[in-house]
Amino acid sequence: MGIDMAARQEKLSNKKPKKKWNNRKKREALWGLFFVSPFIIGFTFFLLGPMLFSLYGSFTNYNLTSKMDFIGLANFQRMFTRDELFWTSLYNTAYYVIFNVPLTTIGSIFLAVLLNRRIRGISLFRTIFYLPAVLSGVAVYVLWMQLLSPSTGLVNTLLAFIGIDGPSWLFDPNWTKPALILMRLWSVGGSMLLYLATLQNVPKQLYESAEIDGANSFQQFLNITLPMITPIIFYDIVTSTIGAFQIFQEAYVMTESGTAGPANSLLFYNFHMWNKAFVAFDMGYAMAMSMILFIIVLVLTFINLKIAPRWVHYGGGENV
Amino acid sequence: MEKSKGKKILSIALMSFIAFVLVACGTNGDTTDDAENNGTEEATNGEKTELEFWSFWGGGPRRETIESIIEDFNNSQDNIEVTHVYQPWGDIWTKALAAVASGNDIPDIIVQDINTVRQRADANQATNLQEYLDQEEENISDSFYPQLWDTVVHEDEAYGLPFNTDTHVLFYNKDLFEEAGLDPDTPPTTWDELEEMARQLDVEDGDSFEQFGFYPLWNLGLDVWTINADEGTSWFDENDEVKINTPEKVSALEWVLDWQDYYGQDTINSYEAEFDSGLADPFISGLLAMRGQNINYYTDLRENAPEDFNFGVALLPEYEEGSGPWTWGGGFALEIPYGAENPEASYEFMKYLVSTEAQTTFGLNSFDIMANQEANEALEDHPDLDENGHMIYELAHQNLDYTVITPVPLTAPDYLQLVNGQIDEALLGNKTAQEALDDAQASVEDLVEQNE
Amino acid sequence: MSKSTSSSKSAIKTETPVDSPIERTKRTGAKIEESLAPKVATKKPHKSKKRKEQWGNVFTYLLLIAVSILLLLPLVWMVSISLKPMSEIAQFPPNLFPRDIQWNNYREMTDAFPFFKYAGNTLFITAFVVAGNIISNSFIAYGFAKIAFPGKKILFAMVLSTMMIPGFVTMIPQYILFSRIGWVGTYLPLIVPAFFGNAFNIFLMRQFYMSIDNELIEAAQIDGANHLYIWSRLMIPLTKPALITIGITSFNGAWNDFLGPLLYIQNEERYTLQIGLQVFQNQSTTQWNYLMAGATLVLLPTVLLFLVAQKYFIEGMDLSGGMKG
Repeated sequence: MGIDMAARQEKLSNKKPKKKWNNRKKREALWGLFFVSPFIIGFTFFLLGPMLFSLYGSFTNYNLTSKMDFIGLANFQRMFTRDELFWTSLYNTAYYVIFNVPLTTIGSIFLAVLLNRRIRGISLFRTIFYLPAVLSGVAVYVLWMQLLSPSTGLVNTLLAFIGIDGPSWLFDPNWTKPALILMRLWSVGGSMLLYLATLQNVPKQLYESAEIDGANSFQQFLNITLPMITPIIFYDIVTSTIGAFQIFQEAYVMTESGTAGPANSLLFYNFHMWNKAFVAFDMGYAMAMSMILFIIVLVLTFINLKIAPRWVHYGGGENV
Repeated sequence: MEKSKGKKILSIALMSFIAFVLVACGTNGDTTDDAENNGTEEATNGEKTELEFWSFWGGGPRRETIESIIEDFNNSQDNIEVTHVYQPWGDIWTKALAAVASGNDIPDIIVQDINTVRQRADANQATNLQEYLDQEEENISDSFYPQLWDTVVHEDEAYGLPFNTDTHVLFYNKDLFEEAGLDPDTPPTTWDELEEMARQLDVEDGDSFEQFGFYPLWNLGLDVWTINADEGTSWFDENDEVKINTPEKVSALEWVLDWQDYYGQDTINSYEAEFDSGLADPFISGLLAMRGQNINYYTDLRENAPEDFNFGVALLPEYEEGSGPWTWGGGFALEIPYGAENPEASYEFMKYLVSTEAQTTFGLNSFDIMANQEANEALEDHPDLDENGHMIYELAHQNLDYTVITPVPLTAPDYLQLVNGQIDEALLGNKTAQEALDDAQASVEDLVEQNE
Repeated sequence: MSKSTSSSKSAIKTETPVDSPIERTKRTGAKIEESLAPKVATKKPHKSKKRKEQWGNVFTYLLLIAVSILLLLPLVWMVSISLKPMSEIAQFPPNLFPRDIQWNNYREMTDAFPFFKYAGNTLFITAFVVAGNIISNSFIAYGFAKIAFPGKKILFAMVLSTMMIPGFVTMIPQYILFSRIGWVGTYLPLIVPAFFGNAFNIFLMRQFYMSIDNELIEAAQIDGANHLYIWSRLMIPLTKPALITIGITSFNGAWNDFLGPLLYIQNEERYTLQIGLQVFQNQSTTQWNYLMAGATLVLLPTVLLFLVAQKYFIEGMDLSGGMKG
């Protein structure tokens, strides 16, 4: 990762003749702080307070309105030893993340590559491909409930065309999560857009020379396109992992009156947390759950960051 | 370099501390005094008190009616001026909770879920109304159905006034009854009769069904059937004891499992979607002959069913002859969120909203079953309603004698997740009815213990 | 070269002296691009290759159309419901195309709540959020990607960490915060944070910057340009596709935001579209036809925006593809 290299370089450059470098570095540092200052200000005023508050709240029995007594690790203890639904929700969420992240990443790259062509009507196709990502809210979830209807839904009707007897989707605990993953795949337009934007920056001449060397399109994709979009693949994996861990709304809307699906198969982590926070008013417990999620995601992101230098290729040189 | 880093971190820490303190002060407690002072101030200086009333009635007859009732109230006196603010259904309560938690911008009156009044009373989210009720000459509580009144009382003091309610009944298609050779005017009264009639109403086509007589979980939850079987006792009894694996409840679940076996799990699953999404309606479409449903469903039928759609409404059949047509209901209550500035004036307005006159007007236009008993009685033969309308109110009024309201238990507000999970295990064939409910009983008891 | 890029170039020219450092850097940059530019125009492709290309195109079109149909089906379904009367929606089994088309649903939907007023409110908020996001994230990310300074690693970790805490545990504390400073009831909590960066977008912009050659910046610095100048004159034009992307996604986010407006707007006059659309849902019934009609209309501005933004994607391609056409 670039940051590591930066730290190493700093150490190296410290050994060099000092004065002149120090002045330049000081100036650079000030510039750097100047550029990131909006974040520091916004973070401090809008986010840090609530984040610290949640951290503190996780050690209390905070119920939003009348209680906030320090109870030590009691919330965490309950979570790990007494709350069976905590483990159910963790399992459901992990399942969703493990399948959702790679599938949507591959799906959006595929669509982006498909769209990265200069042919007539391509802007229309791009718009169509992006459209599903624009739709949100209850309307689209209810639409999908009908599309996934085992007897009359379009999904199973299409499957029947190719001779497949479709599953019961939202009514079979083994198929509820795949149903949501399918729905998510439908709306990969958002990350597709990122890849599309990056593909614009891949110099066309690279393909030209590869073609002269006799590389076929698949080889070109593997040797030119893929390395050039690795920074965005990295971004996509990190952010969609974080996003997938926080899945909630679709599960809430698509199971009748928020029942979390057959056999709690759609009781995701945030769903359980929502119940604790806003059904039981046990906000302290919900905050404790959010800290555990924070740690899980933090560790995963850290691993991602550590592995990244092995495969992410930054065209700008890695030394900043 | 290390120094400047340290300084920066220090300054960040300082700023964040300020932000933290700003947030932490939000726990309400300390806002009470302000609120009460403001209240008396405004009442004494003779100016009009302005009140904000939050409801989730954003359109249609409910909004028109509530706004005309508010207008009547505003015109009826000179001290209080109420404004209606629409907030989205469901999310209205999240927003109100945020306001109460912050102690600012709190609405004066809000329409709340009747099942959670006690929970909010306990958590200091709702204002205690007892002092105002005590000043009344007559006992306001008598005008409501007793089980509705119970829901707003916490530790012998009232925290809200019931506004409207509902109850679950059996809708049946009279034309399909006639086709099957059944008398359209004698719907089933016991579970056995229900089953018999359903068999006659089933139309099979090879392996699949063209018409279903009845399936208990379309569109009721198992909880309604267990209440029915257990003579009005829900998952928790009136003393907040966990009563999940009683023999009657186990037998209710077994009965549902028999139905599932009869139609087949795959068949049930494949039609389930039509009941869940709320788009297509298998009852109106004639796919289903009898359907357990909230009585509000009547308005759907009025609006969406063809003109000649011939349906009847009946009490839920009883578990055994003489056990009583027990059923389940819900509803909404009016509350003053804790910390609101003008509780006294707000109470006056609430009292107006639950008066027989206002309640009758609201019921007349919305077809809601009202919390005020006299209002429903007035609607039973109200000249502005048609025959079906009279029938609905008559049935509802009668049914409310057997309607159980299930306020969430303070010791385990989120217990349903555990129960539903176990019921599904039984429906999936992973557990027997007894095992599933035993496990649910154990889990919920454990949850209660955790919260105590 | 497309028009707008060349005109922006001439704008730089008029602002800066002819031999300014930045102009020289620009030229070096252009030279690099030129040297890499393809010689497509001068080379004549072989016939067999052309035929192969044509077949390739036919295949591409077929694939594009097939995927489009799959992606569009739910939307067709949505529009179909929006044109049905409720009595037809209740029919089982549902039919894909309405028998009895009700164009009036759209009129009735926009009459059920102040649709156009709410659209104006939403547009107002969205415009600020988009502007804030484009400027702030591009600015902040430049600092993270291209300038070395102490503590950067920790700060960037903080950026990432803000993404990891689930929104609804911080929702109430954040509401309390905004309530304390008197912002509840205004659009400020919805707009102002956009000007202080958003973790996802900072991260995204940083990734784009990392792909830009550092030599470009170093050359400019040697010529005496400062970072502000480099960011505004060199980096912004180079990252146009990324900025457009952020513009589109933040438009989409703000336009469809529900929870933010729900919590912070108090006056019904100032509600947004997503709140307005909720009037079709209540405790017992939902008016699906109006809800779907609303969802369809709300979709339109985003679609239009996207179609317009297309142009800039193509331009981005020109920029790195060198001189052409």
